Amino acid sequence: MAKPTWVPHNGARMIARRDLTARLTERHDLSPTCFSLLLACPEPVHAEPGQFGMLTCGSGMDPLLRRPFSIAGVHSAGGEATVELLVKEVGRGTGWLRRAPLGATLDLLVPLGRGFDLEAAATGRPALVAGGIGLPPVLFAAQRLAERGACFDLFLGAVTAAELLVVDRCRAATDAAGGELILTTDDGSHGEAGFVTEALRRRHARGRRYQRVLACGPDPMLQAVAGWASEAGAVAELSLEEPMACGVGVCLGCVVELADGRRVASCKEGPVFEASRLAAHWRP
Amino acid sequence: MVELAVSVGALRLANPVLAASGTFGYGLDLIDLCPPERLGAVVSKGLSPLPRVGNPVPRIVETAAGMINAIGLQNIGVEAFCQEVAPELARRGATVIVNVFGERPEAYREVIERCEQVDSIAGYELNVSCPNVDHGGMEFGHDPAQLVALTALCRAATRRPLWVKLSPNAPHLVATAQAAVDGGADALTLINTLRALAIDPYRRRPVLASGCGGLSGPAIKPIALRMVWEVHRALPAVPLVGIGGIESGRDAVEFLLAGASAVQVGTAIFRQPSAPLRILEEMEAFCESQGVQEVRSLIGGLEWR
Repeated sequence: MAKPTWVPHNGARMIARRDLTARLTERHDLSPTCFSLLLACPEPVHAEPGQFGMLTCGSGMDPLLRRPFSIAGVHSAGGEATVELLVKEVGRGTGWLRRAPLGATLDLLVPLGRGFDLEAAATGRPALVAGGIGLPPVLFAAQRLAERGACFDLFLGAVTAAELLVVDRCRAATDAAGGELILTTDDGSHGEAGFVTEALRRRHARGRRYQRVLACGPDPMLQAVAGWASEAGAVAELSLEEPMACGVGVCLGCVVELADGRRVASCKEGPVFEASRLAAHWRP
Repeated sequence: MVELAVSVGALRLANPVLAASGTFGYGLDLIDLCPPERLGAVVSKGLSPLPRVGNPVPRIVETAAGMINAIGLQNIGVEAFCQEVAPELARRGATVIVNVFGERPEAYREVIERCEQVDSIAGYELNVSCPNVDHGGMEFGHDPAQLVALTALCRAATRRPLWVKLSPNAPHLVATAQAAVDGGADALTLINTLRALAIDPYRRRPVLASGCGGLSGPAIKPIALRMVWEVHRALPAVPLVGIGGIESGRDAVEFLLAGASAVQVGTAIFRQPSAPLRILEEMEAFCESQGVQEVRSLIGGLEWR
């Protein structure tokens, strides 16, 4: 018998991923380095927070590969969908996306991977933690949790005030949920000064006993979250970012090492992993 | 209607477009986007007697019109493939070529002997770009004497089609091709990836954790075409399977003209999982537009000057 795990299924046991021709309909600058994209898709997209898509970032053979982007939100209506991505310009592919004309058609393979466990998150008051351009899956999770009436606190950190992304939307989602929005900047230019994980520790020390944390951001931030969760006895779900060629589990470029020594494709078993499953260097 | 069927030696394929080893999982990973039974064949990820975890990351890096990989032959092992994957591939009607590698000649034979117990496997492709630990780590495919012996050992283990995937890094391409044929290969796949290096100038380190890796993608296509043509010219009776940077139906046609009887699509699958099906359609359209009724009539059709 073939294992049913060769192709990932969604919660309804359906294969949801589709290779779509999407149309770039809107782009908004969010910060000196980051921008948002709205992609109109010709059919509904059944994506969960933490899942991602592979998006064309050029018109020819160079750059060759699509780039993975975590989904910031999806709105399906009338047999169509709009997928929102938040992107940081870091190289040729993202630079191309920043300059591509509105109306351009882009190949979008979506949704991919495994996202956050929102069922578990909705049963308590989780901490949602985002660092820099790690915001998209956390924002998506915040919106979905708010829609279902679950409470959470949202920690949003950036290097400086100008790089705090879509603060108004973060505040709206957090207010709707009756939670707290905590803003931090490394340089102290806005909100609490220091790393976002230090703010998480301070809340915990003051008695906010989070049982679960959903996090996405730079590796040192995720390691700090995992370290805190390990001490605090909380479950940490980390959305990881690895270089990726295919996004569908066949190139094996994006493997993540687990505590049991296996190296698994983060595009398929992740990109969200419980920190306790990961190799020791993720839990310093 | 264009007749798409081709033969690679004694193996008849419904069409000439195959999925390359290491780019299509074990054949079932992309069933929703590229059903394996619609391809000429699928070549499995390289299988060893036991599972392997592969190299540390970073394992891949994009380069100009290409990418370098050093995956380290991570795989689930031949037993898991035979038990968990092969039956479903057979049920779907896919033609399956098992890609085989080992660090010792006996490892290759072990993989083949296990697969011989599975009726539905159509043939084998030997990855000879693997260092032989019994031979100071020299790659099997770089030494004609080693390659003859390895191929003969595998030949003795099966009567099924046996392909040898040649390394473009070998010092003498035609000599290694001849060695594989002398050892009993039915066909030759060429080319495997080109040994390559990417450097991070800020860290003054190789980008990949393993240092060097293998270059694939459109960047290598002209080299692959030249190698297919050279081997075809030197050994015109030997069936060839062309691979290297194929992104379009036109690319595939070029490989047939150079002497390949079939082609494998690899890195293009990373860009677009359904690429082999698109390439097949484009190939068919090319034939229709050019009045080519049988794809096989293109094979070796290059007119030199």
